[in-house]
Amino acid sequence: MRAKPVLCACLLALGLPGCGTASREHDAAAVAKRFHAALGSGDGQAACAELNPETAAKLEDQEKKPCEEAILSLELPKGGTVADTRVYLTSAFSTLAGGGVDFLDEAPDGWEVSSAGCRPTTPEQPYECELEG
Amino acid sequence: MRRFFKHNSLSIVFLVLFLAALCGQAIAGHADFNDRADSHGDPTISLARYVVSSDFGASVMENWQSEYLQFTMFILLTVWLLQRGSPESKELHQTGLESDEDQKVGPHAPPNSPRWAKVEGIRRTIYENSLVLVMTTFWLGTWLAQSLTGVVQYNADQLDHQEDPVSWSQYLRTADFWENTLENWQSEFLAVGSMAILAVYLRQRGSPESKPVGAPHSATGVEG
Repeated sequence: MRAKPVLCACLLALGLPGCGTASREHDAAAVAKRFHAALGSGDGQAACAELNPETAAKLEDQEKKPCEEAILSLELPKGGTVADTRVYLTSAFSTLAGGGVDFLDEAPDGWEVSSAGCRPTTPEQPYECELEG
Repeated sequence: MRRFFKHNSLSIVFLVLFLAALCGQAIAGHADFNDRADSHGDPTISLARYVVSSDFGASVMENWQSEYLQFTMFILLTVWLLQRGSPESKELHQTGLESDEDQKVGPHAPPNSPRWAKVEGIRRTIYENSLVLVMTTFWLGTWLAQSLTGVVQYNADQLDHQEDPVSWSQYLRTADFWENTLENWQSEFLAVGSMAILAVYLRQRGSPESKPVGAPHSATGVEG
């Protein structure tokens, strides 16, 4: 939204949310970047540390091996930069410069990747993700 | 001080009720938000975090905008529309903007009239319409706020289902925005319409919202 700074100034008078998400977007983007950087350097443990515990547990259950081994066997983007991140309440959506999207959730200790390597299917249908949360 | 409270008791009591209800809404809304987060496997948030969230903001704003719309419409439409027998209506011969003499403006304004009621030109025009101008501004402002907080809430749900978020302008075309808007509008219009017609036949002794108890049903524009 181009008019966001002006609208935020108006809404501040009413004490409304929607403003001040820039730092949270930066934090979520940093987690997505660390996740893909860990995959790029072959560090499965570091990559799993950025995952939502439910997603990690689901991956181990599906692949029948520890998370740090299973994560490296998936066809997920390795390295690269985060082109754009949007935060809505406690959910975030990170678009990678090389293509693909990650979904993140905000936990008490910070952002966690819940789904990764996601591609659009048909309009208004859910993304298909290599790593499903 | 006692005199101040007595002479302003209506606004003070409603202010207290508003604040109490807003606090109650925050507590109940926070519990509901965390219930839904739990069932989706999402993290829960604190009350302090919830009251500055778009979820709470959207819930508050969608109600505020409909209240201000109700008053905007009621103030404006009662200039021209009548309801025979209702204390909410003007008398049947008074439809329209009425004469300067009836409205006590310009040369007809008594000495203690508001200053802008006595002057001519744009200032008097603004003052003559100040109530609907302010109510309309509040309505449009809170409706805008509803849309801005609503799109964040909608997009959080979209991401929960691994679907694309939408822009603000796209959100204005969603069923979610219009359902939240219209579910509030219908109740406001129902309330005003009910009050207009029920007050024809029913009474509340002592209330200016009612006709005097003994006033005939056909008496229009009289207060108790």
